[in-house]
Amino acid sequence: MKAIIIGSGLGGLLSAAKLSKAGYEVDVFERLPIIGGRFTNIQYKGFELSTGALHMIPHGPTGPLARLLEEVGANVKIIRGKPVTVIRITRKRGDTDYKFGYKDLLFENFKTPFSILNRIKLMYYAISTRKDPPTGKSFEQWCKEHLDQDWTYRISDAFFGWSVSLRGADVPVEEAFAIIENLYRYGGPGVPMGGCKAVTDALVDVIRAHGGNIHTSSEVTGLKTVDSKVTGIIANGFEHNANIVISNIGHPETARMLSETTGINGLKAYLEKVSELKPSAGIKICIQSDKPLIGHGGVLLTPYAKRVNGINEVTNIDPALSPEGKHLTMSHQCVHWSDLDNLEKEIELGLEDIKEIFPEKEYEVLMIQSYSNGWPVNRSSSGADLKGTTPLSNLYVVGDGAKGKGGIEVEGIALGVRETLHNILGKEML
Amino acid sequence: MQSDGESMKVNKNCVGCGQCAAFCIVDAIDIKGKAIITCTCTDCRKCIPYCPVKALEA
Ligand SMILES: Cc1cc2nc3c(=O)[nH]c(=O)nc-3n(C[C@H](O)[C@H](O)[C@H](O)COP(=O)(O)OP(=O)(O)OC[C@H]3O[C@@H](n4cnc5c(N)ncnc54)[C@H](O)[C@@H]3O)c2cc1C
Ligand code: SF4
Ligand code: SF4
Repeated sequence: MKAIIIGSGLGGLLSAAKLSKAGYEVDVFERLPIIGGRFTNIQYKGFELSTGALHMIPHGPTGPLARLLEEVGANVKIIRGKPVTVIRITRKRGDTDYKFGYKDLLFENFKTPFSILNRIKLMYYAISTRKDPPTGKSFEQWCKEHLDQDWTYRISDAFFGWSVSLRGADVPVEEAFAIIENLYRYGGPGVPMGGCKAVTDALVDVIRAHGGNIHTSSEVTGLKTVDSKVTGIIANGFEHNANIVISNIGHPETARMLSETTGINGLKAYLEKVSELKPSAGIKICIQSDKPLIGHGGVLLTPYAKRVNGINEVTNIDPALSPEGKHLTMSHQCVHWSDLDNLEKEIELGLEDIKEIFPEKEYEVLMIQSYSNGWPVNRSSSGADLKGTTPLSNLYVVGDGAKGKGGIEVEGIALGVRETLHNILGKEML
Repeated sequence: MQSDGESMKVNKNCVGCGQCAAFCIVDAIDIKGKAIITCTCTDCRKCIPYCPVKALEA
């Protein structure tokens, strides 16, 4: 059996590793000269920056991605920071920014700033929503109806902005609760030693060890189909046949390759559904400093900043991600679709935030990276993901355009890959 | 051909991800919301294939 994978992002590599291990002949075609998509390192001024991710795995060593990596035999060490997550609040209740000072609160104590009434309600909702999860509205709308308080919106925007690059108003309540549930089930984030590249490199090793090939600088430009099946792809002008094709380039791009095809059941409905998907956007500011700005390897959520949702300092876990004696700190801010035309202003606001969050600290901005549209934070915003199937029975889609329910970022990719491979390999994947 | 960096252009596909900047050996690309090719550019074209959205044109 032969499998072709379009794209060497995390989803493509996970699928290729699993299939090559299961005995498939696997070929991965990647358009860029580098492997790993938005989950690998780029070197800049001696620092290990990344093509996308903030070198963080949302559920650390105990999440769906870690489990899948272990299953395929990819050798990656993922370290969970301690404290895992800290929330920076204002020094005094009633302040609306960090100008007059701040206090740091452990994530476990996120309830402290709630009113007493809302704290009691929260205990009740923690149980009732589990039994009977709310549906049909945004998380923000649900909060308005149940926990209406300034803090509710701040902490939810910071948390979802950091974790899925969306505002609370843009996360469907079902997805929000699934994410929260997963946080309790799998635990908080961790950093792979070596950064994103350690993960994608380890997968490449597994694929090659099982005879798989990865072709870089090889763009797939078309799909070959017969009836309701894909029979191969076209790359660099050559045709390559396969029994199954897995696309790691998202539903819209995959659908575009099918748009001229006729006689496929359900294709029209698929093309329509796909056209509604909206990628999430964000800005990452990479900072260097001599002294640590945060001082631990966990996440710092910043609910009182204007734009920045959270920050991490990965060199507290892996010092090798920067030159000796230097630290690498990265902030993330979600960019709302309506602000995409004003990116420069959003960047300025982010830079002002960092100044306020780290008053009197010395640092230097290394690079400001923004992501949207064709190279976004997520190809499909969380909660709107389609399944990994397409109208062609042997054509699948993996990656952050087909995340599993409640799966933050790469955890969602791992859940989606597991489901797709279960479709292909059956029981072996359970 | 090496010249004075007048021919490299950034088209509207650019999202500002900075990937190209990391592969330019003379540090000729500034990033702020999108890529800006500075006068240091030698038109070597090495950055072009690294752009994930085909935003660099010679
Ligand atoms: C700023 C930012 C911060 C983030 N932070 C985190 C984080 O801390 N933790 C986390 O878990 N996630 C994070 N993410 C998300 C994470 O980086 C992505 O979800 C993940 O890397 C996407 O993987 P993917 O499988 O969808 O593939 P992609 O990375 O999209 O890879 C797809 C590959 O396909 C290739 N390709 C495209 N078209 C073709 C074609 N026609 N032929 C051949 N190849 C093609 C592309 O070049 C690319 O290499 C972040 C993302 C961003 C942008
Ligand atoms: S053409 Fe060469 S010098 Fe100019 S920006 Fe690209 S890599 Fe740098
Ligand atoms: S790699 Fe492409 S999208 Fe990214 S900043 Fe450079 S030109 Fe823009």
